[in-house]
Amino acid sequence: MSEYLINGPVNPELITRIISISDEKNDAGAISVFIGRVRADRAGDNYVVAIEYSAYEEMINTVIVAINEAVITKFSDVKSVNIIHSTGIVRAGEISLFVSVTAGHRRHAIDACSLTVELIKEKLPVWKKEHYDNESQVWKQ
Amino acid sequence: MQVKVLFFGVLTEITGNSVKYYSNVSSLGDLRISIQDDFPDIVHYNFIISLNQQIISEDSPLTDGDEVAYLPPFAGG
Repeated sequence: MSEYLINGPVNPELITRIISISDEKNDAGAISVFIGRVRADRAGDNYVVAIEYSAYEEMINTVIVAINEAVITKFSDVKSVNIIHSTGIVRAGEISLFVSVTAGHRRHAIDACSLTVELIKEKLPVWKKEHYDNESQVWKQ
Repeated sequence: MQVKVLFFGVLTEITGNSVKYYSNVSSLGDLRISIQDDFPDIVHYNFIISLNQQIISEDSPLTDGDEVAYLPPFAGG
């Protein structure tokens, strides 16, 4: 599986490990983080209990490398971009996406993190099927 | 000559497949016709196509071992 995918929810321990990493230069004064969770959306009388994610795994690495390059090119102060996306079942309230961006200063960290999330939504070959409390399932587009 | 076709998202249900192999298709256009013959309902769905993991919008010749993917609108994040 791609290093950017995890089967099931992103666990908080992994998040802690990623944001605790620092390199020898210690020149990143800011870390901006986005955490995406499965939301218990309502559809009529029913609500989402889980989302089932699927991905074109062989394409994920290429796309994420391109996203990282686009972000680092646009924001010269960015030092690193980390992305982890779930596949498989993630229940409502659990984490399905983690993005962290380190930069020398907060402005580029915050803006680059925002851009990274938007590019993920636009370009990452991932699909989701919502599972409802009445056991029905619907592909979400 | 054989190409591998991957279906994702809702298209896995429309086609009943996540992977299907096609022989004797010399171009994406030929492949599209064969797929529509096999799965007529696919014309009602939006998707883009990738060839060997590169999104492609124009017709292209196919060679043995190529991988084509039918990609519904992405829904990541």
